[in-house]
Amino acid sequence: MSTDSATGEANRSLASRLRSRFEGPNTIGESRGFWVGFVVAVAALAVYPAFGDGSQLSLFMVLALLGLSLSIVWGYSGVLSFGQVVFFGIGAYTFGVVSINFATPGGITAAVVAGIAGGGVSAAILGYFMFYGGVRDVYVTIITLVSTIVMHTFMAQTAGSEWAIGEAALGGFNGMPDIPVLTLGVEGASYQFMYNPFPMRVIGIGSFEISPFYYLVLLLLVGTYLGLRILVNSDYGRVMVAVREDEDRTEMFGYNVTRVKFVVFTLGGALAGLSGVLYAARNVYIDPTVFSLLFATLPVIWVSIGGRKSLLGAVVATLAVEYLRISMAGELALVLLGTLLLVTILVLPSGFVPWLHEQLVETRLGPGEAGGADAPDASSEVSD
Amino acid sequence: MSRSPLSRRQFLGASGAALVTGLAGCSAGEGGTSTDTASSTDTLKIGVLEDQSGNFALVGDPKAKASMLAIEEINANGGIDGKQIETFQRDPQSDNQRYQELTRTAINEENVDALWAGYSSATREAIRPIIDRNEQLYFYTTQYEGGVCDEFTFAVGPTARQQLGIVLPYLVEEFGPDIYTIAADYNFGQLSADWVKVLANENDANVLGEEFIPLSESSFGSTINRIQEADPDFVMSMLVGANHTSFYEQKASAGLDIPIGTSTAMAQGYEHRRLDAPAMANIYAGVNYMEEVPTDSNTGDGGFVDRYFEMYPDAPYLNEEAETNYFSTYMYKKAVEQAGTTEQPEVIDALESGIELGTEEAPEVPEGETIRLDGATHHVDHHMWIMRADDEHNVEAVENRQIPETFLSETAGCNLPENPEQTQYTPVDYYEEAE
Amino acid sequence: MVNGINLALQFLDSFAFIVLAAAGLAIIFGIMGVINLAHGEFILIGAYTATLAVTQLGLPLVVAMLVGGLVTGLFGILTERVIISGAWPNYISQQTLGRDIIEPLYDRLADSMVATFGLSLILTQGARIRFGNSIDQIATPFGAISYGEFSYSTYRIVLAGVSIGLLLATYYLFTRTDFGMRARATIQDKETAQAMGVNTDRMYMLTFGFGSALAGLTGALFAPVITMQPTLGDQFLVEAFVAVVVGGPSVVLGTALSGGVLGAILATFSNLYGTFIGRIALLVAALIALRFLPDGITGFIEQLRQRRQESD
Repeated sequence: MSTDSATGEANRSLASRLRSRFEGPNTIGESRGFWVGFVVAVAALAVYPAFGDGSQLSLFMVLALLGLSLSIVWGYSGVLSFGQVVFFGIGAYTFGVVSINFATPGGITAAVVAGIAGGGVSAAILGYFMFYGGVRDVYVTIITLVSTIVMHTFMAQTAGSEWAIGEAALGGFNGMPDIPVLTLGVEGASYQFMYNPFPMRVIGIGSFEISPFYYLVLLLLVGTYLGLRILVNSDYGRVMVAVREDEDRTEMFGYNVTRVKFVVFTLGGALAGLSGVLYAARNVYIDPTVFSLLFATLPVIWVSIGGRKSLLGAVVATLAVEYLRISMAGELALVLLGTLLLVTILVLPSGFVPWLHEQLVETRLGPGEAGGADAPDASSEVSD
Repeated sequence: MSRSPLSRRQFLGASGAALVTGLAGCSAGEGGTSTDTASSTDTLKIGVLEDQSGNFALVGDPKAKASMLAIEEINANGGIDGKQIETFQRDPQSDNQRYQELTRTAINEENVDALWAGYSSATREAIRPIIDRNEQLYFYTTQYEGGVCDEFTFAVGPTARQQLGIVLPYLVEEFGPDIYTIAADYNFGQLSADWVKVLANENDANVLGEEFIPLSESSFGSTINRIQEADPDFVMSMLVGANHTSFYEQKASAGLDIPIGTSTAMAQGYEHRRLDAPAMANIYAGVNYMEEVPTDSNTGDGGFVDRYFEMYPDAPYLNEEAETNYFSTYMYKKAVEQAGTTEQPEVIDALESGIELGTEEAPEVPEGETIRLDGATHHVDHHMWIMRADDEHNVEAVENRQIPETFLSETAGCNLPENPEQTQYTPVDYYEEAE
Repeated sequence: MVNGINLALQFLDSFAFIVLAAAGLAIIFGIMGVINLAHGEFILIGAYTATLAVTQLGLPLVVAMLVGGLVTGLFGILTERVIISGAWPNYISQQTLGRDIIEPLYDRLADSMVATFGLSLILTQGARIRFGNSIDQIATPFGAISYGEFSYSTYRIVLAGVSIGLLLATYYLFTRTDFGMRARATIQDKETAQAMGVNTDRMYMLTFGFGSALAGLTGALFAPVITMQPTLGDQFLVEAFVAVVVGGPSVVLGTALSGGVLGAILATFSNLYGTFIGRIALLVAALIALRFLPDGITGFIEQLRQRRQESD
């Protein structure tokens, strides 16, 4: 794509070989311009805490991981799950319970792992129950929705003292406070990520503090995004997309569709679990609101608005929608938010980021040539 | 393709150095930008976060309005020590995550001098870690289950022991000793039900049965049947929220005719105004305040009710929590004037010295003659009322007296100036019968 | 101790609640493939209209309830024209831009979900801004019946009768009338129906309107017994979706059967172990049903029938 004038030939081939792992028909953005923009965007995020509310942005980035988990499960494998918040919440509660019981750096690090595993294992159980039972399409959506409501109903009533795991009381509707501060490592060699800010002084800007937690989340988000790009552009990613486009046909080609869905669902659960762990760690608190119908709807909204066949869309839309949700004030705020969702989905049915990409490609190449670099049209990819 | 706007790119050059000059260090406080308050001398800032949409809007909206009334009155009378009050007011939409974010914003970005926030105890618990971490002066103004002993939190609403403590003994005296408890199935309801057991024991009554009802439930057929089967002398109801309100209409239409004692109905959600009579007939509310409380400073000419509806002519009702928001704003005023500063540690010291509001300082205390803030526990010795609704939903006062907060001060031994802590005590730890 | 009459009455109560909650959704979601997250707000419109018709206009209760259903039906038609099919905005854009701007939301599950979620935010908050945080409530008619130490609201029993009546009327409408034939033909095979001269666009609009009217009527019927506030629709949403999916493809029979099965479970467990266990039992039963009968109860019945025919 990026046929700009010659940079060093050897250099370029190495860079493009490296880049090719991240590129393919299943993701948007393979021009040089895209990667330059990507680096600039990450750098902008890295210096953002100097200018704005980094603490708030770290929350949005944590939620973007949840958005990504739905993007691979639904956007890339065609399983519309309403239950990503179940795995998110289980990850968060697992992290809370384990870290409260073992409040040492080693224990907290283990709690992070346990939280991710909790999300993954619960997704595996639910996924096994559904996919190996032949549940498909909208029935998967409803089963995951009902699971969310079961979790909400159950967790909200765990207020009594009988609902405690070791030292950690689940706390019912009031939630679980006193989650230890996120500290990773082992005794003697550990680093505290929350409430341990760096003071900074820059001439011309003034002094401010930056939180290591912010950079941990940024690193995880960028890493996850790039990792998922590799996944969806790999051979396995192509099978995932094939499953999304036509299950029966993919089955006929000899792929084990059930297992693909099971594996991706489990992976999505683990990713949602990671997001939940970071959410609980950031708020040092977790409560059953994460299982509420509203919260369960949010990932579907982010991913739909951003463009469900686009990983980048999930991230951008999560940040944008959450920013709007928190910063709109006044009694008309909810009306405006509703109108925005409604209009966006009606006018841009494939999502914002694919639409923007189309516009950019069209202006750059002219409408006639746009086809080559177009948004992922997976059906043409698989059905050849 | 770039997803960052051009202006970000310009930032980049200017701040590239930022990462290099950063030094590792250790200081308290949340991440993100936080510069110290340069609290200007002629204003001070109060944060008011109360629900004006979502599940708790019905009860939260009057709280926000009453805070604004108090602030407007104080500003009109020259402010606090000559300082005008500015407000940071947002609608958290009954959403705890929003509460957390807005609390962070109020503390770190808006640098509020004092914060009023939240209806449900779940909200209070969601933001209390942030409050404590930032050592923020915080007023929690809802009636609640009691027991919060926290050096930065002033829980100035009445506690379950105070509310149930006035209504339960009266009902035992009037109707007999057999009680059936129905309560919302979360912390507030479960702890309130524990208090019913404690008070039943103290008043030689017995609890025949108790049932906890999920907040999302709105059908009460089986509950009504179980009450009829147990056949108690009266019911204690600690139901919460819009869904649970349907209980009263449903028990009336099912012909369940039994006295009900409550700490939650009528005073918060004015069911006696919204429901068709006689759904709320024969219900006895133990409260520190509701619009009908017949004191001079409340219903008298130019009293609290007059002033409120003059400012908000379309408001539906003036509820229990609204009064708490209102008088606590005046308590804060008195404390700042006593401390001579808005610096929070000094204001907390002043509050802990035992602020008292009385009728001579009207308009502050619509609920009764005097109320006193107990410095040791950060709770208020309220003037409590039993309010009864009749067949036409007219509300009359049956009994009233001062009831001090005793659980923290006498039973649990909470003394915050001596022994600063951030705990919530529960009755289970102190009373056998609560188990 | 289980009292048989109590149990029977509670079963009727749960049955009526589930069937009425699901009735409108069964048509909009079950037949038309639109996940309508604004279903609760359609119920809200019916409930508010009926209540205000009584308290403000002084209409008799029964008339007010019918008005509630009618107004919601008209609102449903408006929603269908503007949002779901996009017919009106597209008409305007055809005149000005020369192309459609909205692709109909039929059978686009997730997109319909986001759109109707937006709509539900607008309606809930709109109701709050216009009518405040609650409106005055109307009383429950008919009084109570007594038996032994117990008593029960007569109106709740009437509701069970009404729910059966509504199911029968819907069944009649879709199977015995010309409209029903055309509507079913449209939904099963749009192209063929069009070729046979059916105005499919109109059929979609009317079917959606009918489903909305049912939701509105549900709201109107429950108006006396639930709390009148802007989020009142939420309490119906879960039962509605669960009942429709558990019911399966045959809308009327499916709703009746899932109302029966789920209602029996809810009533029994609530009666024996309290409301919390009742609720959990309902949800777990739904999960199990969906897992083992992925096509719902009526899909399972259809399978059985086919199998029997094959073996004959």
